Amino acid sequence: MISVKNIHKSFGELSVLRGVSCNIEAGEKVVILGPSGSGKSTFLRCLNLLEEPNQGEIWVEDKLITNADPYEHDEIIELSQTYADLYAKYVLENDGTAGDEVKKAVISRIKEQRLLKKREGSLFKKALSQYQAQHGIDINLARQDMGMVFQHFNLFNNMTVLKNLTLAPVQLGLKTPEEAEQNAMRLLQRIGLADKRDEYPSKLSGGQKQRVAIARALAMNPKVMLFDEPTSALDPEMVGEVLDLIRELADEGMTMVIVTHEMGFAREVGTRILFMDEGNIAEEGTPAEVFDNPKNPRTIQFFKAVL
Amino acid sequence: MNFFEKTVQLFTTADYLKLMFTGLGYTVVISICAAILGLVLGTLVALCSISKSKGIVMRVLQGICKVYITIIRGTPMALQLFIMVFAIFAIRGFPTIVTAILAFGINSGAYVAENIRAGILSVDIGQTEAGRALGLNSRVTLIKIVIPQAIKNVIPAIGNELIALIKETSIVSMISITDLTMAAKIIGAGNNLASYVVPMTSAAVFYLAIVYLLTFGIKIIEKRLRASDKR
Repeated sequence: MISVKNIHKSFGELSVLRGVSCNIEAGEKVVILGPSGSGKSTFLRCLNLLEEPNQGEIWVEDKLITNADPYEHDEIIELSQTYADLYAKYVLENDGTAGDEVKKAVISRIKEQRLLKKREGSLFKKALSQYQAQHGIDINLARQDMGMVFQHFNLFNNMTVLKNLTLAPVQLGLKTPEEAEQNAMRLLQRIGLADKRDEYPSKLSGGQKQRVAIARALAMNPKVMLFDEPTSALDPEMVGEVLDLIRELADEGMTMVIVTHEMGFAREVGTRILFMDEGNIAEEGTPAEVFDNPKNPRTIQFFKAVL
Repeated sequence: MNFFEKTVQLFTTADYLKLMFTGLGYTVVISICAAILGLVLGTLVALCSISKSKGIVMRVLQGICKVYITIIRGTPMALQLFIMVFAIFAIRGFPTIVTAILAFGINSGAYVAENIRAGILSVDIGQTEAGRALGLNSRVTLIKIVIPQAIKNVIPAIGNELIALIKETSIVSMISITDLTMAAKIIGAGNNLASYVVPMTSAAVFYLAIVYLLTFGIKIIEKRLRASDKR
């Protein structure tokens, strides 16, 4: 469903993601764990392009949401001037032998040393933009299918609870105002906050805010939900109600990617754990594998500290 | 004659009254027109300067906005007014009142732009992110989510700016427009009331009344906008 290919992200000098790749299948509940600063939140935010990766590609259901990265496509590299020059040089050095061997060597060298330049000739440019046009998707369209829940809720402060849920579906023309309101009320009933429909977010408790935020994401009927530390900003007594709701969604088969520090929850709900460290996936596997039998020394150390 | 008698005289003599209210009229007209111009201009400039578009047109516009704000905020209002009247619009027959409105509007716009920019930036980035994450584009997010919250934050600062603007219009007397201040001065000196105290005090009361009305209006707007707050 989501396919991440070798993404890098840095903020100025600080390199946060260093070549992360992974696939997330429909129905999976992927939990991302790791020490703070390991890039978990940045990774999650890259999935719906709230952060734009500097390199690499992200595909959502066969659609490319990032810019096409030429380094991911050998056939595009072959059209570059750099490739032509290097190829000629190799052939010359090897007494005129050409062929697939040389081709492979040249491409892998270009990839390793990232030799493509900003100006690579029209053929290369045309191929790249053609690829983008063929596979790319407008990010606003892609985001409609990806719900996101933030650590700090980010409910729209200037709107009532009901309006928070109906704004996007109505604005985007997915539902009429009446349909949107019906759907919103159904969701509010489900999370037990139907009586708060006309309240402003400032009147809600943290747990209620987060439940409304989840309902707001659900109002778009997303195919996947991204949770960015959904309980980290909550008072301890409110963590339970939010986790219960997420658990319910998980049981219904929603595809989820969750960044969390709730280890018990991760183990119970997750179908796969990604342990991130220093901008890379250090270890991944089922909860049983990662929690009970971690192999990476960094993972072992982390669990020793938190469990 | 004492202060009281002179006050009665000011408010019963047709010539004096006419002059005072003509002056008041000029002050109000210049203030309102300049305020509208300033708000429109300021909003446009603020929107330009927060735009993240990297297009060449937007970059040129942003450059112009930066220069505009720097020059206007860095030079005295009176000087700007003189330049407008005696240099830029030094056209025979061009109404000085229009020039004055333009000068004050352009001046006000620079301050309003900075207020609005600060107001938009003061809205938590999470609000924008939440909007964008739902698939709303940046324009809708700005209009439906960010700006309504920004307005609430900038109303006090804009109110301040409008109050300052109203009082600053008194310097149009320097380009011979008979505003409230000029009228008071004329009555005190030329028209033989033989006292500056009464007309000046009266003019002050007029200014106070306008500013008080404005403050009152802003309070009401603020209260309505704060409906979504706990406070």
